[in-house]
Amino acid sequence: MNEVIEEKISTEYKYGFVTDIDADNAPKGLNEDIIRFISAKKNEPKWMLVYRLEAFRHWLTMDEPDWAHVSYQKPDFQDIIYYSAPKPKKVLKSLDEVDPELLKTFQKLGISILEQERLSGVESRVAMDVIVDSVSVKTTFKETLAEKGIIFCSFGEAIQEHPELVKKYMSSVVPYTDNFYAALNSAVFTDGSFCYIPKGVRCPMELSTYFRIEAAGTGQFERTLIIADEDSYVSYLEGCTAPMRDENQLHAAVVELVAHKNAQIKYSTVQNWYPGDKEGKGGIFNFVTKRGICIEENSKISWTQVETGSAITWKYPSVILKGDNSIGEFYSVAITNNYQQADTGTKMIHIGKNTKSTIISKGISAGFSNNSYRGLVRIAKGAENARNFSQCDSLLMGDKCGAHTFPYIEIKNNTAVVEHEATTSKIGEDQLFYCKQRGIDNEKAIGLIVNGYCKDVLSQLPMEFAVEAQKLLEVSLEGSVG
Amino acid sequence: MLSIKNLHASIDGKEILKGINLEIKVGEVHAIMGPNGSGKSTLAAVLAGRSEYDVTEGEIIYNGENLLELEAEDRAREGVFLAFQYPIEIPGVSNINFLKTAIGEIRAYKGLDPMKAKDFLMMLKEKQKLVEIDRALVSRSINEGFSGGEKKRNEIFQMAMLEPKLSILDETDSGLDIDALRIVANGVNKLKSKENATIIITHYQRLLDYIIPDFVHILHNGKIVKSGLKELALELEEKGYDFIKEEVEA
Amino acid sequence: METVIKTSTIKDKLIFEFETSKLFLFGNTQLRDQAMESFYKQGIPTRKHEAYKYIRVDLMLKGEFDFSTNKNCSDAQIEPLKFLKDAYVVVIENGIFVEGLSNLQNLPEGLTICSLVDAEKSNSPVFEKHYAQYADVKTDPFIALNTAMTKDGVFIHIAKNAIIEKPIHIIHISTAFKNTIIHPRNLIVIDENAQAKIIESFETMDSTAKIFSNALTEIVVDKHAIVDHYKIQDEKELGYLVNTTQVIQQKQSVFSTHTFTLSGSLVRNNLTVVLDDEHIESHLNGLYLTAKNQVVDNHTVVDHRKPNCNSNELYKGIIDGKSIATFNGKIFVREDAQKTNAFQSNKNILLSEAGTINTKPQLEIYADDVKCSHGSTTGKLDEAKIFYLRARGIGIINAKKLLMHAFASEVVNTIKIEALREYVEEKISKTFE
Repeated sequence: MNEVIEEKISTEYKYGFVTDIDADNAPKGLNEDIIRFISAKKNEPKWMLVYRLEAFRHWLTMDEPDWAHVSYQKPDFQDIIYYSAPKPKKVLKSLDEVDPELLKTFQKLGISILEQERLSGVESRVAMDVIVDSVSVKTTFKETLAEKGIIFCSFGEAIQEHPELVKKYMSSVVPYTDNFYAALNSAVFTDGSFCYIPKGVRCPMELSTYFRIEAAGTGQFERTLIIADEDSYVSYLEGCTAPMRDENQLHAAVVELVAHKNAQIKYSTVQNWYPGDKEGKGGIFNFVTKRGICIEENSKISWTQVETGSAITWKYPSVILKGDNSIGEFYSVAITNNYQQADTGTKMIHIGKNTKSTIISKGISAGFSNNSYRGLVRIAKGAENARNFSQCDSLLMGDKCGAHTFPYIEIKNNTAVVEHEATTSKIGEDQLFYCKQRGIDNEKAIGLIVNGYCKDVLSQLPMEFAVEAQKLLEVSLEGSVG
Repeated sequence: MLSIKNLHASIDGKEILKGINLEIKVGEVHAIMGPNGSGKSTLAAVLAGRSEYDVTEGEIIYNGENLLELEAEDRAREGVFLAFQYPIEIPGVSNINFLKTAIGEIRAYKGLDPMKAKDFLMMLKEKQKLVEIDRALVSRSINEGFSGGEKKRNEIFQMAMLEPKLSILDETDSGLDIDALRIVANGVNKLKSKENATIIITHYQRLLDYIIPDFVHILHNGKIVKSGLKELALELEEKGYDFIKEEVEA
Repeated sequence: METVIKTSTIKDKLIFEFETSKLFLFGNTQLRDQAMESFYKQGIPTRKHEAYKYIRVDLMLKGEFDFSTNKNCSDAQIEPLKFLKDAYVVVIENGIFVEGLSNLQNLPEGLTICSLVDAEKSNSPVFEKHYAQYADVKTDPFIALNTAMTKDGVFIHIAKNAIIEKPIHIIHISTAFKNTIIHPRNLIVIDENAQAKIIESFETMDSTAKIFSNALTEIVVDKHAIVDHYKIQDEKELGYLVNTTQVIQQKQSVFSTHTFTLSGSLVRNNLTVVLDDEHIESHLNGLYLTAKNQVVDNHTVVDHRKPNCNSNELYKGIIDGKSIATFNGKIFVREDAQKTNAFQSNKNILLSEAGTINTKPQLEIYADDVKCSHGSTTGKLDEAKIFYLRARGIGIINAKKLLMHAFASEVVNTIKIEALREYVEEKISKTFE
């Protein structure tokens, strides 16, 4: 069995190529001047700069959190480049003008922007925003979406063109006072995606953002804001990769979702940041604050995540169920290998009446990794007939890794129905032998077991992503057996 | 079909099997009985190819081939089936998916085309009926949350689906109440044919009231110390294993 | 001359009764003395005892109680309680085995049934080996009290390899006309590779007296044995029951127990199952339907001491009126018990505003390669489902009944004896009326 695991550990990171794009860097370090530099570089209005500076000043008063079940060398915030834009020749008018190096990068990832464009008119389509090192380089299908009144653009563009929406919603779900990394992000974020679905519109295609960290020594601080107005629907996908580097890189993003009356937001993530090498050297520190609010009745927010990358993940996509009859969902698969550490989970805050939430979390730990689920279910006093179902399963591969579950349940209303289930199991020699005795070899058996184990979550992903996620799981576990 | 000659096997340097000789022909049912620790389950594990056991001496010829040279999965593909004493749970993998994969692999090994989905489903239905297993169990994850008795019935269902040539039932009777035992025995009897053979490993005589063996062998301290017809099992139950120990050691 | 006797506590009365009657009780006096000493130290539990804080046995035991055990029951009265037509029936009236009311003709080979007193008298080696070996007097005052004061009960032994196909039905009937405390005790031993089905039912005869029954059953399940055990508790309004069941299981045995609490003013079940070897399987199922001022408290302990065992626990309750239901389920997984699978689920429906449910799952796990889960829910009947049924023309009362039946059926369906399942179903239907 240990050989099986050793083999697994030796699987190489497949997306670790470095694209050479001449970056337009800010000097290393963080102070008010750097923030002014970023703001100026982005040609921002004054209110934005004021917001950033307020966030920065607040950040200075905060300590880095250490309650998560992870241990790492805390990043030196003065040793990070906070702005690194791939140098655009000019404003891009068509895909032909996108840096060919970048396009190649995407081809290696199996994502073809050209392909997406060509597919327009076909029923199932994906509109994509591409963000490399904090700057949005291309948003596709903008015009098609605009016909329906949907705004889908980079965050920078939104600040310029839709300041009233940004002012109204930005920081309304995750205020900069929320936590250390949210404050940092609010001060230094460089770009991200912005999306607004107007009343009564069902977004006809999957919206998608690909994030990639390219330049060395940079941090990525993007911000995503999605607003679904009354009776609207949107499905949003996010994918992340980074090249192999020796040093740790910081990724501290903020995602805010707002669902109005009868609106529905489905947010899916396939996160494959560089996890570091076999010895645990390098890799992304992924400290992300994701939160949605079901602000009015009958709204629904659903988070689905497949997390296979990052050296350290610290992330709790949450839903505040404020509107009556609103629904929150969290489906997660987190794989850790080698020396990866993940402390991830969710918070479901029930405030409105008849609110429902579902949490399905599947952790897989291999190598020397540690994988923790941390989840909070809070039923506030006025949340009559709130319901929650949580299921947290851990799968261990080998005996040097760890799985931990930290559920927090706070109930202040006695009409609540809260269910919690947790299991821990091991892929052991016994299971593999059982499969062999039925004619199934090790490689197939592990695929069968892991895919079976993650089934409940993978089935929540949109089609386009499900295939990619399944492939990713297989890549993460490929060669895991002799 | 199966010829075991002077088989010695050990685990962690400790010898468990100390020279087993056994000949099994097609169409036969052999019962292997013995007290705890006599080596019954070790024999089953060695036949199925568990790697923890080292075969230090002797040979196993199965349909003209040296069984010991085959990997565990290839033995299965050649038709050796072990009904586990303690069937393993595999969460998230449905019985159906598991069997589909197994049948696919076995057919690929034999150079056959994959089975058509329709044929597979037909077969599933037919075998379910044959071994009287609940449909709901078949679509659930392999053995997960099954009671001991349900697990044993599921083993026999898998056996029905995979249509092995040599079936080894390792203490399939333990944990079965009398009603379930009758059903399982009935299933095994229906699956018997002139083309296959069965080895029944058991501690108690009861199962042999329902599956009548052609031969009974008594295993003691890693060796077959006595062989006979089905009456031997009754004699053993009556006199107890101590009687064998005394007889052998005398 | 008149003497004024200061009202003594129930504890004093019990000790006095013990001292005056112990010479007439069967068996080992030393064992009884030790048990009484242990009871003396523990006393009748009050609110301050963590394990009894939701059930006030002390309040119930205020007032006058008698300890005598008369026989009042007639054949005609017992007949309707023999609800299984094809069974071996044992009748225990006020804690005393009554052969005349029992049906024990033509016992098959391998099955021995006799009174505890007779088993002790006949120097049965099985009795001597197992009697009072498992329920530890130090762990609970009622175990101590029963061990000290029991007068009789039934001894059942199933010999090696025997399969007893007909169920064995033990009827506990309380018939006193005065407030009475009784201590029935049973010992059931199932030997290697044997199989049996055992039902214990608890009933009271109509009367105006309170009857407090402190019943205890020890069950020994030897290796490879398969045992199906049922308790049907239906003691009506004057029944007060503390029922201890102590089970010990050996290698590769299968034990299933099912507790149905259908009525009774106060019911406390202490069920402990010890899995003392490998590859053991245990199932604990329970259903409690409470109403009015009833108090029902189920304490279960599943003690995994060795590797590779499975336990599965499902308790469900429907709580109405001002009743209080408690479920406290402890699972121990000892350091040795690797590869344990232990599951527990407790689900409740609260029908009334005034009802109370306390649920406390406790997992104490000292091994690292185990699979354990517990789930606990409490909720009202689903309004949406009721509405759906009403929209199909089913009246609100029937809609509720239908849903309650559906809820209970998960436990009821675990009953393997068909006649018993029908009986329980009928009882449940009546409760829902």
